Amino acid sequence: MSKLRVLSARGDTVLEWDERKLQTGDPEALAAVREAERIFEEQRARGATAFKVVPDKPAQRIDTFDRAAEQIIMVPRVAGG
Amino acid sequence: MVVTVIALELLFVLLIVCLLYRAPYGVLAQQPLGGSRRSDWREAQERAEQMLRDVLAEDEYRQLCRRGYLEVPSRSRPRRVYRIPRHQGQVKVYEGGVPVMALCVQPVDPVPDGDVVLMHKLMIEGNEEEYLRVANRFEPTLYGFIAIRPRGRV
Repeated sequence: MSKLRVLSARGDTVLEWDERKLQTGDPEALAAVREAERIFEEQRARGATAFKVVPDKPAQRIDTFDRAAEQIIMVPRVAGG
Repeated sequence: MVVTVIALELLFVLLIVCLLYRAPYGVLAQQPLGGSRRSDWREAQERAEQMLRDVLAEDEYRQLCRRGYLEVPSRSRPRRVYRIPRHQGQVKVYEGGVPVMALCVQPVDPVPDGDVVLMHKLMIEGNEEEYLRVANRFEPTLYGFIAIRPRGRV
């Protein structure tokens, strides 16, 4: 399962989709990935930064939605404290 | 005379009660909304902690719990290590084991402690230059870290 996680005051919001089902054109998986893409763009427009996270590897910043990513984490806009 | 003293004492007690009602967390004002917000926040903290455990490698999570900080090596400066505190606060920067500065970066909207640790780690690993650009910097002194200049650059 692939995941999009958005950090927020409520903890994190998670949206999951099945990459294998996506390849077979499963409508539920397609709907889930479209929703994930919409959230991704919405958060980016608000100033969030997205990272592709793979276990035991440094996080990688991404600017476009990657539906094949195992996990994408979105960090809200940051400022100097 | 006695009546005056008692009246003054009552007035004093009333004043204390009023102040407690007006306290930031409404010590005496047990409003359902306040209680609900607190439990929501507690739930958010627990979710963030669970996520931190999922995302960090086992040894990273252990280090964070035992030492109270997580060390993230810089990808662009070989001798540099960022020390992210367990709870929200300044990130200390070490080069060759020597503290060189502290950085203050916060999310614009409040997020739980676990998410802040993750935020620092992801930004340092995947967006280090932007992280350094945004951070307010503090210089190490004998008495701790003092501000160098707002929005300085390295």
